[in-house]
This record gives sequence, C-alpha cells and structure tokens, in this order.
Amino acid sequence: MDPKSFLFMLALSTAIAQANKAVDFEMQIQPLLEKNCTKCHGEKKKKGGLRLDRPAAILKGGDSGEPLFVAGKRKESHLHKVVSREDPDEAMPPKGKDALSPEEVELIGRWIDEGAKLPGGNEATVLTTDHWSFQPIAKEHKHGAVDAFLNEALNAKKLTANAMADRHTLMRRLYLTILGLPPAPEEMEAFLSDPSSKAWDDLVDRVLASPHYGERLARHWLDLVRFAESNGFETNRERPSAWRFRDYIIQSFNNDKPFDRLIKEHLAGDALGADLGTSFLVAGPYDIVKSPDPNLTLMQRQDELADMINTTGTAFLGLTIGCARCHNHKFDPISQRDYYSMQAVFAGVRFGERAIKNPPSEEQKNQLAGLRSSLARVERELADLRSMAAKSDEGTKQLRPPVTAKFNREKFPPQETKFVRFTIRKTNSVEPCLDELEVFTPAGENVAINTKGTIPTASGSYSGNPIHQLAHINDGKFGNSWSWISNTPGTGWVQLELPKPATVERIEWARDREGRFRDRLAIDYSIELSIDGKTWTAVASSRDRQPYGGQADPAAFLAKLAPPAASRARDLMSREKTLLIKISELENGVKAWVANFGAPGATHRLYRGDPMAKREEVSPDALGVIGSLGLDTQTPEQDRRLALANWIANKGNPLTARVIVNRLWQYVFGTGIVDTPSDFGTNGTRPTHPELLDWLAADFMAHGWSIKYTLRLLLTSEAFQRSSESHSFSARFDADSRFLWRFPPRRLEAEVIRDSILSVAGTLDLKMGGPGFHLFDVDRENVVHYHAKEKTGPTEWRRMIYLYKIRQERDAVFGVFDCPDGNQVIPKRTRSTTPLQALSLFNSQFTMQQAEKFAERVKDDTDPVVRVYQLLYQRKPDPAELLDAKEFSSQHGLIALCRAMLNTNEFLFIF
Amino acid sequence: MIDRRHLFDRRHFLSHSVNGLGGVALASLLGRDGLLADELKRESAPGKFPVRPEIDPARPYAPRLSHHPAKAKQVLMIFCSGAISQVDTWDYKPELIKRHGQPMPGGDKLITFQGAQGNLMKSPWEFKPRGQSGKMVTDLIPQLGELADEMCFLHGLTGKTNTHGPGENFMCTGFTLDGFPSAGAWTTYALGSEAEDLPAYVAIPDVRGTPQSSVNCWGPGFLPAAFQGTSFNAAKPVRNIAIPNSIGETTDAATRAFLQRQNQRHLQNHPEDSQLAARIASYELAARMQMSIPELSDLSREPDSVLKAYGASDTGNKILDLRAAYGRNCILARRLIERGVRFVQLFNGAYQTGGEGVSNWDGHKKIKEQYDIHGPVLDQPTAALLKDLKTRGLLNDTLVVFCSEFGRMPTFQKGASGRDHNPKGFTAWMAGAGVKAPFTYGATDDFSYQAVEGVTTVYDFYATILHLLGLDHERLSFYHNGIERRLTDVHGKVIREVLE
Repeated sequence: MDPKSFLFMLALSTAIAQANKAVDFEMQIQPLLEKNCTKCHGEKKKKGGLRLDRPAAILKGGDSGEPLFVAGKRKESHLHKVVSREDPDEAMPPKGKDALSPEEVELIGRWIDEGAKLPGGNEATVLTTDHWSFQPIAKEHKHGAVDAFLNEALNAKKLTANAMADRHTLMRRLYLTILGLPPAPEEMEAFLSDPSSKAWDDLVDRVLASPHYGERLARHWLDLVRFAESNGFETNRERPSAWRFRDYIIQSFNNDKPFDRLIKEHLAGDALGADLGTSFLVAGPYDIVKSPDPNLTLMQRQDELADMINTTGTAFLGLTIGCARCHNHKFDPISQRDYYSMQAVFAGVRFGERAIKNPPSEEQKNQLAGLRSSLARVERELADLRSMAAKSDEGTKQLRPPVTAKFNREKFPPQETKFVRFTIRKTNSVEPCLDELEVFTPAGENVAINTKGTIPTASGSYSGNPIHQLAHINDGKFGNSWSWISNTPGTGWVQLELPKPATVERIEWARDREGRFRDRLAIDYSIELSIDGKTWTAVASSRDRQPYGGQADPAAFLAKLAPPAASRARDLMSREKTLLIKISELENGVKAWVANFGAPGATHRLYRGDPMAKREEVSPDALGVIGSLGLDTQTPEQDRRLALANWIANKGNPLTARVIVNRLWQYVFGTGIVDTPSDFGTNGTRPTHPELLDWLAADFMAHGWSIKYTLRLLLTSEAFQRSSESHSFSARFDADSRFLWRFPPRRLEAEVIRDSILSVAGTLDLKMGGPGFHLFDVDRENVVHYHAKEKTGPTEWRRMIYLYKIRQERDAVFGVFDCPDGNQVIPKRTRSTTPLQALSLFNSQFTMQQAEKFAERVKDDTDPVVRVYQLLYQRKPDPAELLDAKEFSSQHGLIALCRAMLNTNEFLFIF
Repeated sequence: MIDRRHLFDRRHFLSHSVNGLGGVALASLLGRDGLLADELKRESAPGKFPVRPEIDPARPYAPRLSHHPAKAKQVLMIFCSGAISQVDTWDYKPELIKRHGQPMPGGDKLITFQGAQGNLMKSPWEFKPRGQSGKMVTDLIPQLGELADEMCFLHGLTGKTNTHGPGENFMCTGFTLDGFPSAGAWTTYALGSEAEDLPAYVAIPDVRGTPQSSVNCWGPGFLPAAFQGTSFNAAKPVRNIAIPNSIGETTDAATRAFLQRQNQRHLQNHPEDSQLAARIASYELAARMQMSIPELSDLSREPDSVLKAYGASDTGNKILDLRAAYGRNCILARRLIERGVRFVQLFNGAYQTGGEGVSNWDGHKKIKEQYDIHGPVLDQPTAALLKDLKTRGLLNDTLVVFCSEFGRMPTFQKGASGRDHNPKGFTAWMAGAGVKAPFTYGATDDFSYQAVEGVTTVYDFYATILHLLGLDHERLSFYHNGIERRLTDVHGKVIREVLE
C-alpha cells in the first residue's frame, strides 16, 4: 500500500469511526471522488459532460440533465444509484473491479441524506452564454439602410457589385419572388414604359398589395410549421377542415397582421378571439393508432408534445429545443429541465377537430335574424306539404325490416328473366358497395355466379383499386376484399345478364357479408327483371322496408306527392339544409382542425426522455437562459400558453425578430444572412452581416412587426435590383453570392413552376380560399390510400397552395421538385436537379395537356410563336430564336413548341 | 412486346453533351447551397466529423468513394410488410413445441398491440433441418430453407415500437416518426450508383400495393429529392418514362433538340451558371433513362427456364397468380442488381387490399389460413432470386438483406388463431458480400419471445450494412434543422461477429 492510499484509508476509517458526526464534503467526499471518478470526470476528460472535481460542476451535473443528488434522499439520487451499482448497465465506475467499497458507498449515501451540503452553498447557478444570438439586439446602428451595410462588407471583401439589372429582368424577379407567378405581357409593357422615377417603388407597392402575395408567403410559412391535411403515420386519415388554417395564414399575410400578434394567435389564439391560429399547435403528424401497452402510448404522447416544442422552438426562436429532450442540449444553453418546462406549457393541448367560435359582430347578428326568418318561412311551407302527403297515406301496410350491411334477402313470386338490374339511388355514405349479388331459382341454385357464364355490367366502377372491381359482384367471394364499388357517390347500378333465361324467386345481397364494413350501404334501391333488356319489371325495392337506421326518412313523403308539389318540396328541403348549416356556422362557429385544450396535469422531467423514468415535477416555463415566465405548477392551461406567447413575441427576446427578418431575407435572396435559418445556436452558422441583421430586426419591431414593411426595404434595395450575371473573379471568393455582389439566381419551387405553367397556358383558376383540390383519388379504408390521379381538369387548375396536402404522398409530377410532405419542419427547401424532374416535366400528362391548352391559347394570334415567347418570358424572341422556333413549330406544330418551351431554363429560374 | 419508340436512337442529341461542368460551386449545388467553414466544425458523433459526398449535379448518380474499402457494392433488401412471424419461419424453439398449449410464463401480465395473450402455440408448420448446416426452418418456406447455408441469421433483432407504420419507418429509416431519409436514400446519397443511366435506388412495391408506411419506406426525407427511391414493379412502369401518346417519336426527338438549342442560347448569356448547365445535363440523363428503363423492365426476353424457376409463368389460381406477379418482381430485382443499381428494395406484402393479414404478413387472427397463401408466394421466387444471384456471381458484390418491421408472439392472441406483434425479438438474415454464412448470431429466449443473446438494434443492423458498404455510420450525416442527422441516430455499433 502506498502512503497516499494509506492516508486515505486512515481518513476513511476515521470517518466510519465518527459515524455520528456529519459527513464533511471537503474532508470525506471530495477525496473519494478524486480517487474513483475524476480520471474520467475531471478537467481533462469530462465524460458525459460531467466534472466531479469542483462543487459548482457537481451541482450542475452532466449532459444527461439528471441532477447528481436529491438532497436528503439517497434512494432518489443518481450518484448513489450508480456507485451502488443498482443497475449493472448504469454502474459507475463502469468496470466492476473499480467499484467503490461498501463503506465508500455508505459515506456518499449519508452525505446525501444529510443534505448533500457543498462548500459555497447549494444554490443552482443560472445557465449563461456568450453566443451572439442570445445577446440583446443592438440599439445603436452604424447605418440606416440595407445597402450601406452590404456595401461596407463588399468593400471589405474587395468584391465589385454588379450593375442594376434591366427592368424586364427586375419585374420577372419581383413577381416570381413575391407572387410566385410570372407577370402578364401587358403588365410588363406598362412597367417598361412607366416614365415615373418612382416606377420601381410603385411596382413593389402594387405587388405587396396583391392578394397573391399572401398565397406565396403562406407557402413558405406552411412549410415551416409542417402543415398538411392528413394525419400521417400508417392510417394517414384526412383532415377535411384543416384548410381553414391555410386560409387564415394567407389572409394574415395579406392583411399584414403584425408578426407579434400572429405568434400570439399561433400559441394562444383561443384567448385572443382567433381560435384558428392554434391550428399551428396541432398541424403536425398525429398517430391515431394507440396500443394497449401503456409504455408505448405514453411515448406517443411524448412525441406529440415534442413536435409542438420543436416546431415552436424552430419556427419562432430558431433553436433546436428538441435536442434537450433526453439530455441537456449538447451545444446550446438549454437544459433538459428547460425542455420539460416548455412541455408543461403545452401539456393540455390535444389534437382534433372542433367548432371554432368568435364573438358575433353586429353584421353577423343581423344576418342571423334574416336567416332565421327565411328558415321559418321554408319550414311552414314544408309542413303544409307534409300534411298533404300524409292525407294520401292512409292504410299503409306492414313494412319489412330495414336493410342491413351484412345481409339482405328479396323474395318475390317466381318469374322468368334473363336480366337482373340493381339500381341504387342513395347510400348511407359515399359510393355504394355490393360484395356479391346472388340470384336464386326456386330450387336454390344461384344463377348469377360467373362460373355459370353470367356477365355483369355497371354504371361505373371505383378506379384504381383491384379489390373493388365489377368482376367481384358475382365471383362467389364474400366480403369487402372482393366487392364492387360504384364510381359515383350515393348512386350506381349493376346489371347481370344470365347465359339463358331462368326462373328466379329470390335475390340476396350485402355490403359486406363478413360484417366488417357498414358504410357504402344502399338504402334506397330497386331491383328489376327483364327478358329482353328493354322492358323491366320491378320485383323488389327499399320502398316497403322500414327506413334505414330506425329513423324515418325525411324525404319519404315526397313519393306521395304529385310531381310539381314534390319538386317544390325538394327545393324547400335543400334550402332548409343550406339555411341550417349557415345558421349553425354563425351560432356555433365552423368546424376546423385546431388545438383542443384540457387539464394539463403534472409534468415531470423524464430521465433520458423515458416516460417511465419520471423525475421532479416542473412548472411551465420558457428558456432559463433568456428569462422566466414566473409561473407555478397550478397555472391554468391557457395562461401558460399566453405567457409563453408574450415571452416570445416580445421586443426583449433576442431571437424572435432576428429569426423572422432572416427568413424574409431568405425568401427574397434565396439564402438567409444566417444560412441555417432554424438554428441560431452554436451549431448553426454565423451571420454574414451581423450588424445588418440587428438593424433589420430592430427596425422591424420599431415598425410594428410589419412583414410588408421589411420586405419593402429589401425589395427596394440596390442589392435586390442588381444583375445576376456571374463573374469568375467574384465567384471564386463568394460562390454562393452571400455578399450579394450579384442577385443569386435560383430554380423555382415546385408550386411556382406548376402555377406558372397554368398561368401562361391560360388555364389557371385564381379563385382564392376554401377547401383544397385533390391530386389523389382517395381510398378510405381503415388505412387511407391515395392513388395519384391520372388526369386533371379545371378543378385541379388552381394555385398549388390550394392543393389538399397529403402527408407522405408527393404529387406525381411536382413531388420530385423537392416538395416537402409536411412531416418535418422545413425552413429551407433543398434544391436538387434530377433526371426524374426532367422526365416529369417533359413527359407527364400534365405538361402535355397544358402544352395543348397553351397552343390553343396562342394559335389564333397574328404571330403565335412571338406570343409564346411573350407569355412565357414577357419578351419577344430575338432573330435567331424566332427563326429556329418558327421552323420547329412549322414542322412539329405549336403544341410541340409549347411543350419544349415550358421546359426551358429561362422559364424555370429567377434571374 | 417492346415499345420500339423507347429505342429510338438519340445519339445525335446526346452528342451535344454539356462541357465545362465542374468547379467548386458545383460540388455542393445538388440540394445544398454551399459549404461554409462553420459547417466543418459540426460533429456527427463524439469526436467524429461528417464526410460529405462530393456530388456533381450533372451526374448525381455517378459512383462516389466510400469511407473505407467496401465489401458490398450493392444492396438488395427483401422486406416482408406486415411483420412476418419468426416463430413460423426461422426461429426454432424446441421448448415452445414441448410447452405447446400451456400458458407462457408471465404471459398473463403481458399486454401486446391488440391486447391479452392466449397460450403458447408452436408453429403449425414443422421445422426440419436444411442444407449442410442443418439449420432448422419450417415447411412454410422449404425452398428458402434449403438455402440456409447461404444465410447469416440475426435472431436477436429488436424494435422500438409495436405498430406497423412506425415499425416500418423504423426499419426503413432508423426513426419511428415520418419524414426521415430511407436507408436506400442514405446509401445513394453517399455512394451514387454503379449504373448512371438508371435510378440509383429502386423500390419494387408488391403488385397488390404499397407497404403500410407507403412511400415513406423509400422516401428521401430531408435529403435531396434525387436520392428518393424510384418506385416501379414488373406490372407498373416508371411514371412519365414513356413518350406521351400524342407525340410521335420524330417530334419527340426534335423537341428535345429544340429545347437543347433554346437552353444553350440562354446559357450563352449566363455562361458561368452551373445550375443551368446541370439542368441541361439532367435532360440528357433522362433521355438515357428513357431508353434504359423500358429495356430493363422488359422481361419478355428472359428464357422460359428463368420464368419457370421464379414461378413467374404458372398462373391459374390466387396463389399461383400472386406468386407469378411477385416472381416477376424478383426477376426485375435481379436485373436491377445486374445493371449496377446501388440499392434495390423488394417488397412482399401490401396494405391496400383487405388490410390485416389478407395481403400481408399481419397474421393476427387466422395465421394458418393466411400464411398458407403468403408462404408459397414468397418461397419459390425469393429462393430462385437468391440462387440466380449466386449463379451469376452477383452475390460476391451484393449484400442481400431479408427483414420485416418486427416479429410476432409465440402465443396466440386470446380467442384467436394468430399471433400479435412482437418487437422484442425477431429475425432478419443477410447473405452475400461480406457476411459469414452459414452463421447464426443472437438468440431469443426459450419461446422466441425476447432477444437474450446478441441483442441487435435496428441501429446496429444498419451500422453493419453501412460498414459493409464501406461507410462509417457515424460519419455519414446530413445537417438538418440544427442536427447532424444519421441513419443510426446517435446509436449503433457494427456487429463484427457477422463479418466475413
């Protein structure tokens, strides 16, 4: 034994002998840690971010976020747990041969039980940082204009700025950047000939005032807040009312809603008369498949909350708070405790659809009164018609039981037939489905089955799904997987042609004889027979059945009215329905996919993010390094979110304004001043122009957090108006044009390409708002399947912001253009160039169809080829182009010319 | 029958190839706008820094260097969607047979995906020794069983979730959540392909439809779109690959040439913009794909003996029809591997038709009845594929991986004749380049419930696959939203024991 160890042993035995005395950290614990632990957890190695050589570091703990001790409770203390080797996987020191002796473990246990007193006190130190983005935004600024800051940097780098671009280039650049649509040739003409010295400023103003500005900006924002209109995960069901949030965003941008207000509405709109804003919280993916296994379900809930925390942190603060879920943030001053404090803010937020209600305005109150009196008139007249029908309805016979999804039998007097027709006029939901249609002879033989040679025909069949095709109607197989579904909602017919006439007396049919599905059921139908396929005799129908669902069919009385009266009644009923919906919307609000709020319950810090490893309870709070909300664990749910919103949307928050002005910069110039727009932490990149960023942020807040104000600053800068020409000299030093010696050209995003094609082809429907259009046929089983539509028509020719956005599924043509699917927060899209993009844009049915429309649009023009160039590029072709294009189109036609031109670089880039 | 229009000679067009691509700006153009010095400071694992692939945007699928010499150049992943039961295929447990019909110890307290457990149930298919090694494999897949000597089994695989969607995400992307890049996307991002005229990464969905996680299984996540799997199968061609119906082939070729001229004229005004040149090059590559893909997908020139071996020529009932369709996909997979496609993902099982167990391996309620269909559909074609790869010498460079989102319980579900989900211990196997065979690594307990030996996470599984491809899983990363993201998250270790 060497003398040092001897002395240590001596000290230890003394300590044990003095078991009654309080344990002294410096005398007893520190030497023990030095002997066993500091080799790995000391000044040099710091394994797991933990140092045990200084009291302050011991108090702070390691990267795991787990405090080393809970004063007074050795059993709950991490340090005691690991040295006592309770769990072999977490034992310390890791090698068994280095284990602490039982006496040493006991000493640590006693020290903790006695309060774990450290020299210098046990007051927790507050996290600090000198990282730039956490410092207050500068109040004093060197310059007062964008160009002054930029030019200073250019001079310092010895880079020469390009000259101004020509007006033609500028107008295209402005339109594509801010509206996402090319200008019309006539608009270009007007601008080119505008003699005013303020022509550019006026144009910028006009563009920012256009309603299409909001549509363009909304695309950027919806990427960022991972908006989509289906749940994602395996079932991926639709969210039919989610579009209201998309419209809300478009309107907010068009109205230039102050950004601080927008943030508050996103986090706590329910407290501000703007329920729709809170869609933000639940716009992300949502796993509806819960397991009976409580561990997994708790983890799913943790994932939901993590999505809200991540998105809030990323979108507004440019921070990766989610990294602190399992341990302290590796790079930024965000503790695991901070993460769970923020989780406590969102702990009461749930997913779902609900009615949103805003206090009615005077105008709405008047509107409501008008609607109610109209409704009263309609209902009076309908009541008269109903009593008229009732008079003709005396002596009704006993009704048969209502139809069922699982099985129905129709019995009638034996009759010879060659054709059997089943006509459906109404279903309980969507397109009707029949799993099998059986026709029996009195001897009990099914003559309908395909093996006998019976041939089915139908009004139409559900496209895209092999299990629902017509052949299944008489294939002898029961159940949904071998069934026929019509292609029209609520209606359809099937006809069977027997190989030879047969006498039949019974027909059996069902939606799903296996009993798994009850939707798509025919509830108003008739069955007819025919020998020649021309004259038909009805043998059975739903008319003599009790109404489906036990409720009287409100339309049943129509059958008993004379045609003119029935027609009047139908009209009144449809008006009644519309009125009721309008009244209900005004009274109760419309339905929307927005956050639902419940009791938040207690939130605990979770060791390693494991929901089964609960630690201390935390109060709702923001990031400690910037400040505290000062709330306790009893704070009501809404107050938590409102407090966080006020803390974020605050002039004192060093991140919020910097992060949004940087995004605006990126939308305008392609790359932000910080090119990691959602990581302003130490792992992100530093701003190229820090002083400019601060000035922009301060100026933005000083101008009422107005996005349009800051955009106008950027768009009227010289930097935005420079030519995009490249020079090898400058490019060598600044290949990405981050210093803006030129305007950096870039390929258009998927949506802008599609919108532009529709626009020049003259097919674009600029209708704003409302439910989106679909590019998929939807197959709604338990798991929803989406099949890309083969053909699109005018319904689908709206701006792509109105596309019904499905998670996971990317559009067949434009999905390959780096179009995100709403599963992840996307602050900045990748911009790739791939052969699949070329194939899509060159060969797709969409391009061909639009090329045809485009050719159609220009063909009667005096000079169609010139018109093609004007519509696409807003300029005339030069002589070489004209010659080539004319020759090409005279040989191969205008459509071919349009197809080629829609694929050109000049059309698809912002220069 | 070949559509002759695809074979039209476009040499005159291709000869106008773009020169002058290259330079610093290009290296990062594909999906990323430039490397700044800051980026080089980011760690992808403690003490490790990312290796960024140098991607030429004009040739995104050009082969790229691996981090270390690779054992495997290509990957063929066979994915059984719906969670194939290890209990009824590869994981032989005499104790389970002995205690058939008895309660599983502790089973009464277990709650799995659909609820409570019934008793222990041995496989309805008999286990028999197969190959020289005598590996026990059931009669459900006898022909695959006979190839056991080629296989390196991982019996101790574990998952993190017992739900299909997240499970398939986890097995394909390393994350249970949606939106992360698939393994094939990572691989082709790093390595490009050996077949520049074909997509670098091809997913072959079952003819019945897509797996539960659908296109997520081969999605690019946040990687550039160039690296998403291109999905097609023997029945459904690549989208937009054919010349539009209304266009004749002469006009099509002339249109390309005109487009080329228009773009070239425009390029003269922007001579130093590499993005423009890259787009021009992408049309050339597209034109080459337009010729190579239809040729590749045309199985009509395969000899009858091949079709027969894969079960692709016998039809007439449901099983045979499905087997033939899957067999054709297997032939397609072989042809893709033959042509150097880097990552091929072949699916067996789909979710579009009937759901649970009907057209996939999700045998909750009637496992015997359902697997009696799925087994024969899978067995012969997959076995033929493996044999064919071997005969043609392709196994020397190709790593074949057989996997599923998780496994199934050794018990039947209470009141049913099928097995519930089980991510606690299941089987995958590897074959071909760089792996030991015959070899068995890891084991579950006596009943095949829980991995107890050689416990392998999906992270370890991918760390190993990437290692075989010459890639360090800790250095293959992509910066996204503040994090150097990896296929293996922050976990994973190479399973050295299975390396040859």
